[in-house]
Amino acid sequence: MNVADWIVLVASLVGIAAYGSWRTRHVRLSTYLRGESSAGWGTIGLSVMATQASAITYLSIPGQGFESGIGFVQNYFGLPLALIIVCAVFLPMYRRLNVYTAYQFLGERFDDKTRLLGAGLFMLQRGLAAGVTIYAPAIIISTVLGWRLDFVIVATGLLVIIYTVTGGSEAVALTQRWQMAVIAGGMVMALILLILRLPDGLGFTGSVAAAGALGKLHAVDFSLDPSRRYTVWTGLFGGLFLSLSYFGTDQSQVQRYIGAASLREGRLGLMFNAILKIPMQFVILMLGALLFVFYQFAPHPVFFNRTEWARHAEDSRFRAIETNHAEALAQTRSAIAAWTQARTSDDPARQASARAAMVAANDRAQAIRAEARDALLAADPRAKTKDSDYVFVTFIVTQLPHGVVGLLIAALFAAALSSKASELAALGTTTTIDFWRRFRPLGAADEARNMRVARRFTAVWGIFAVAFALFAGFAENLIEAINILGSIFYGVLLGLFLVAFFLRRVGGSAVFVAAIAAQMLVIVMYFSLDIGYLWYNLIGCAACVVLSLALQAILPRRGARREP
Amino acid sequence: MISAPRPDEDTDTEPPDVPGFRTWRAVYLFVFGWFLLIVVLLTLFTAMYA
Repeated sequence: MNVADWIVLVASLVGIAAYGSWRTRHVRLSTYLRGESSAGWGTIGLSVMATQASAITYLSIPGQGFESGIGFVQNYFGLPLALIIVCAVFLPMYRRLNVYTAYQFLGERFDDKTRLLGAGLFMLQRGLAAGVTIYAPAIIISTVLGWRLDFVIVATGLLVIIYTVTGGSEAVALTQRWQMAVIAGGMVMALILLILRLPDGLGFTGSVAAAGALGKLHAVDFSLDPSRRYTVWTGLFGGLFLSLSYFGTDQSQVQRYIGAASLREGRLGLMFNAILKIPMQFVILMLGALLFVFYQFAPHPVFFNRTEWARHAEDSRFRAIETNHAEALAQTRSAIAAWTQARTSDDPARQASARAAMVAANDRAQAIRAEARDALLAADPRAKTKDSDYVFVTFIVTQLPHGVVGLLIAALFAAALSSKASELAALGTTTTIDFWRRFRPLGAADEARNMRVARRFTAVWGIFAVAFALFAGFAENLIEAINILGSIFYGVLLGLFLVAFFLRRVGGSAVFVAAIAAQMLVIVMYFSLDIGYLWYNLIGCAACVVLSLALQAILPRRGARREP
Repeated sequence: MISAPRPDEDTDTEPPDVPGFRTWRAVYLFVFGWFLLIVVLLTLFTAMYA
């Protein structure tokens, strides 16, 4: 990075944060907790989108397209359907009750203990994840740019804490609009420059065809084979389930849309996401698939996390792998060129033969990359062998012109800040509204005191997240561990809300006991069975719903206040 | 603590005030149709290139 990059990076990030802090320095409590009451659908839509897409999204998804192709897009198939349900069922109820948090609805529908249980499950899961949303992009960016990891974590953490504590939910929404502009501008710029740099003989259409021939463009898979990771069915059912949990019950999302100017604005903001999300993810995955073609013709390392490679690759075995990889790449290049020529001929046999040779050459190159990962593991069993997250950021810092590098790094940090800010605001609001006000009811009438408390809780969660991120390096597979924790708690949380919305005859005591029992069941199953952790979302939710019905049948209905 | 309820907002009979749509049900059907169109287009894309 040179001076121009630094100017773009610092000016955009600090400028947006300072603008957000200054504009929201005198907000009222309601605006602090729920956002500006005049927010239109555009603001809501961008805020929901910015909250969902963290920096790791923009780093990992192109890497996913590069490594495994664009089939990952199917994971989003349940999202539009979930958002329709949230618009039709969840949002009108939250608006009618005029709540600050989703868990207040549980208190209204059931009782205080169920509300505290829901809020507690959210805080446990989101609080633990809070450190990872700072740590995960920081480790990648600091590794590639050679910056100190602790400096990146503390700098991004302090920036987001300052404006989120100052302006709360309103500052989050205000800054997210500009951060999304930086992210969109950066990603569009990267895509245009990538397309312009594709090999001359191939161009855009030839590169798309080559990516397809090399197995990167299998977008949709209707297979019923359970061993396939991404299919239409896992995307529809798993995606619907996860999206419903996330958009309907996670306060970091609920807070983005409940404060809209009207029910209409909130609904249209969510529909904006329902329409745009799949096409947007498709474009980002295509960027990764085109990067794969680009790197068949551009020099690149056998392992994209070069710091990790340099740490272990000292003996002759690693040198041999590097040499073999360079030779395999040269063969793949020749094979792609031969296939490109064969495509223009009218000879189907020649085309098929050239295509088979190209696929075989690419398979050899991929086998050498797999051998490189095995060699790393043999040298150090704790070595980090997943390098796909480093592909896009390597392209940014090695292939793009100065100024644009600064814009893209700013885009990655903007994504980190926007999702982090939503988390902190949601955690601060939930702690204030569902816990502090619950146990200090006399303080609820004092607006200034509420504001001070909300700001303090937001700051405490921010400091906790930074501290957690600073020590995260000590744990192996931390990100997966947090995802597992999320899956363990998300299912029961969604179960609580589904019972609240759709099973009107179930009361507070039944659902509370059922949720505790379902949560214990999930934890016991996690420690005793060997199944994919995403299934615990479904198991937790189903157990909560079924046990609620069973318990309601044998328990007298007590604790339910009223049917909203 | 919950602020005063907003009972005037909870109905689906309120028009969405979106050109071409009279009800929210029509908006949801449009979004669902858009989703189906995306899946069909992705299927065609897969058939063409994969």
